[in-house]
Amino acid sequence: MSAQDNRNSQIIAFHQSINFTFDGVKYKGFKGDTIASALLRNNIKIIGRSFKYHRPRGIYTCGIEEPNALVQILTEYSEPNTRATIKQIYEGLEVESQNRWPSLENDLGSVNSLLSPLFSAGFYNKTFMRPKSFWKKVYEPLIRKAAGLGKPPKAFKTNSTQLHHHVDIVIVGGGLSGLLAAKSLLKTKLKVLLIEQDSYLGGILKNSNKVSTIDDQDNSSWINEVEKEINSSENIKILKNTLATTYNYINHLIAIEDLSVGAMPLEGKADQILHKIRAEHIILANGHIERLISFRNNDLPGIMLSGSFEKYIQRYGVIPETNPVIFSNNSSSYSLVKKLIDLDCKPQAYIDSRSGDKIEHDLLKIIHKENIPLFTDAHIEGCDGKKQVQEISVRDSEGIITKLKSKMLCVSGGYNPDVHLFTQSKGVLSWDDEYLTFKPSKSFQNTIVIGSASGMFQYSKLANEINSKLNFLNPELIVKIDFKLNESDNYAIEKLWETKHEKESLWSKSFIDLQNDVTTKDLRQGILEGFDRIEHLKRFTTNSMGTDQGKISSINALGIVSEILDKKVSEVGTTIYRPPYAPLSFASIAGRGTYNFYDPERKTSIHEWHKKNGAIFENVGQWKRPWFFKSHSEENLDEAVQRESLQVRRFAGVLDGSTLGKIEVKGVDALEFMNLIYTNDFSKMKPMSARYALMLGEDGMIMDDGIISKINDKHFIATTTTGGAANVLSHMEEFAQTEWPHLNVFMNSITEQFCTFNISGPKTRLIMKRVFKDIKFDNESFPFMTFSNFTYLDSPIRILRASFTGELGYEIYARPSVALKLWEDLFRFGKDEGLIAYGTETMHLLRAEKGYIIVGQDTDGSVTPQDMDLNWMIGKNKKDFIGRRSLTRSDTIRSDRKQLVGIKPVDQKNTIEEGQHIIMSLNMKPPVKMLGHITSSYMSPNLGHSFAMAVIKDGKNLIGSKAFVSSSTGSAFEVEIIKPIFIDEENKRLVS
Amino acid sequence: MLIINCPYCGPREQCEFTNGGEAHVARPSNPEEVSDKEWSEYVFFRSNPKGIYFERWVHSHGCKKWFNAVRDTSTDKILKSYEIADEKPSIADLEDSNLATPSGEPEVGSGNFTVKKP
Repeated sequence: MSAQDNRNSQIIAFHQSINFTFDGVKYKGFKGDTIASALLRNNIKIIGRSFKYHRPRGIYTCGIEEPNALVQILTEYSEPNTRATIKQIYEGLEVESQNRWPSLENDLGSVNSLLSPLFSAGFYNKTFMRPKSFWKKVYEPLIRKAAGLGKPPKAFKTNSTQLHHHVDIVIVGGGLSGLLAAKSLLKTKLKVLLIEQDSYLGGILKNSNKVSTIDDQDNSSWINEVEKEINSSENIKILKNTLATTYNYINHLIAIEDLSVGAMPLEGKADQILHKIRAEHIILANGHIERLISFRNNDLPGIMLSGSFEKYIQRYGVIPETNPVIFSNNSSSYSLVKKLIDLDCKPQAYIDSRSGDKIEHDLLKIIHKENIPLFTDAHIEGCDGKKQVQEISVRDSEGIITKLKSKMLCVSGGYNPDVHLFTQSKGVLSWDDEYLTFKPSKSFQNTIVIGSASGMFQYSKLANEINSKLNFLNPELIVKIDFKLNESDNYAIEKLWETKHEKESLWSKSFIDLQNDVTTKDLRQGILEGFDRIEHLKRFTTNSMGTDQGKISSINALGIVSEILDKKVSEVGTTIYRPPYAPLSFASIAGRGTYNFYDPERKTSIHEWHKKNGAIFENVGQWKRPWFFKSHSEENLDEAVQRESLQVRRFAGVLDGSTLGKIEVKGVDALEFMNLIYTNDFSKMKPMSARYALMLGEDGMIMDDGIISKINDKHFIATTTTGGAANVLSHMEEFAQTEWPHLNVFMNSITEQFCTFNISGPKTRLIMKRVFKDIKFDNESFPFMTFSNFTYLDSPIRILRASFTGELGYEIYARPSVALKLWEDLFRFGKDEGLIAYGTETMHLLRAEKGYIIVGQDTDGSVTPQDMDLNWMIGKNKKDFIGRRSLTRSDTIRSDRKQLVGIKPVDQKNTIEEGQHIIMSLNMKPPVKMLGHITSSYMSPNLGHSFAMAVIKDGKNLIGSKAFVSSSTGSAFEVEIIKPIFIDEENKRLVS
Repeated sequence: MLIINCPYCGPREQCEFTNGGEAHVARPSNPEEVSDKEWSEYVFFRSNPKGIYFERWVHSHGCKKWFNAVRDTSTDKILKSYEIADEKPSIADLEDSNLATPSGEPEVGSGNFTVKKP
């Protein structure tokens, strides 16, 4: 007894042999083989080790439902958890087994099986609780090491793309009923997409021996004819190798197409397409899945589902084992028995749980004729063997055990309609007492289910079903079809979820979920411990939580639970089937949106100048902003910032502020609107002047800040923080549209229409005078916080006298077309005066020395203007603005709120770190009361020591006292709480 | 992904829109005169029903207009969308609303149980 080829398969190219390796050993398969069929051909039975107990596992099925045969594909970035039953081999493919160490044959982890009392249901929840200190050092590292099946891939595959479809009809499944549905929609005006997960159409017609002829034609020629008709039609398109994984709202379907079936994915070419499909109606013709039966050691390699065994013979041309033993509780094994007899590989025995009078007459006839040992009203008690099935124990109707020596056992526990997609669509299922399964009962969306997916297992009724269900799409539709079958057309099944064990030992286990190593005993224990709701039980036992989602066993689990609880299965209900139907890679979801295409990069007009002059960039939102400029290649961030900061305070520096958000507000009611949006009162502001302004949310918390330039009462320009620009604009739009639609006002983003250069430092006026010879920059002609329009190179520019550094400063707004020229002019005239370009880090340091806050750094969405000591910015005479009422809520007027303060170390050698906690004394007992934390901290070259800003409870009253700041080195040090301003408190520099 | 019917542009994919929370929450016209409690009702408190919910959307990657919609939160079906200035529609007038339960939860599609008890 061993594997044997069936050369009649039309899908395997026996003339084309292919070399691949499994765990380093070379094997031969044929073109069209999956890893599983090729390994079976080579008599390889053990494919991997199980998840928890490390028991040897083999190939259980022949498709997407496979729980065990998961492998790592070394030649494709070491992709883990690939189903060996789906992945086709190609020349040079390298495959590795998973979850074993040091080797598949001798796995040390298998000792877990003997420790199984430790690993029963809920073992994570119970075992790793105590002692508490063990979690971090012992349990977690151990669990992490043992967790998962495969190893993570070595690199991120990015070769995938996405396509959108808008069609009238999607047919999911190109099997018998899917093809009939497609055929019935030919010559209509409906745009149809037919999705088939396999590389050929026909489904059960090609995968089994069940249908002998169809309309007096052999299966293949009937399929070819239909496929030809569809391909020559204009309205139906076929997508092969495409798996529908997700059924969303409003008939939105996600399907993944594999472009490299049976071939090595090509570098730089898409190897998968994620299809996003929107349809009017979705026809589910995705068939059924065979389920297992639980018995003692039903996981041993050599046990396989009967339908899968038949598929290996029929489709892949490999008989995994001649003369297997067959065990069934239903009528479906007839075609397999017949096929094996035809191939002269007749079954060693046939065991049926049904009594002789219930078994189909035709089946009994050939079994008697061929003298196949028959056990009726009998069960498989269990299997034994070292690493694979060697002995099968059969218990007959009288309870007598017969032992059969065999290496292969085919099991059929009946069929489940594949209801995953239907339930994802939010359709409702109902229990079928005759077929003992859940089937679709009521659609929520425009979903039509046909064929065995609808729980209809009779060939003779298929034409009628399609005629009645699809009639509304094609009133002229009359499908007629005639089958000759190799099995009874009346599918019959008897209830059998699990057989009784005779033998007890630690090795003897009856599995319900093969992938997650959940036993039927775990289900019992879970219920005993009170988890009697199916959703709770699932999570407690991890039943059906693997990558296969319990496709071959979840209904069995419900059956077993219903018997324990003595309830009907329909009362137990099912757990919710969630998308995706089968795992799909993150790469396919990301599609082209990776690396350079992940997010747009925004660059200012003088980005190239920055690059040439040693800028190191940081990301601010989508913007690339110079972080600091390297004066020589060895200079690091700290050195550059110290140098830049000194230079600006002593001479002059210019910052590229083009990324600041700029919003133009216009309209008859612009003044009223601005007064409602910002805290400040703009009414008495003179035209052509500017204000620093605050924006609050309705909760009274600071949302954004910026400088508002008033051209006149009907025209304002607001600047925003770089990161907040889009939010501020939509905030304004929201209130303009929803709360105050009567106000005549319009907003527009002009961020990219103007470049902004912020020049500041004592030498600034001198430089500006040289660049703009006709403009007067003296205090009287150009006072602080005013602006004017000029021309520069025939292009309009606007200059605003404002400063974020505390030094004399100007902001120049210019069109991008002249920006670089202007920037270079500043240096042409300013270089001798010591002008430098500086980056955001220096900007942060300089503003902190002056005590200016940065929204989002010193604030965090829970601070009010009072907390930041910005009360002066609130228009006292205004009746209303967004957030005003919240500033007098009981919570916002508390005196012990966290408030902004300055911090400096008592010992000036200490450096304060951002984010560190502040406490009052070092002698407090835990839990220590935190006062607050450091929001900004810098080493100031101008002060000669470290300084910081912080928010601390009751901060204003604590100014002048001492406190302690924690540090990453572990030792706290003493600091002084001071006012949050460190230089030029009198604003002498600002207005100089 | 939902399809949302923008009253100005017509049906578009959900990714073009941003949700703006509950609709018909009026901002007090006299903020200074209302109590802390009344004000906090407006700022912080929103209903969270299972069933019919009136909510705001903005066509943020389209016409940028705000509008209101009625959605059944148990099925995510959007029953109606209308302009901000329009009056709040009465539930009884909504087409296609299957108010089988007090919360407006229909028999099929609410997603809590895949199998309904008969």
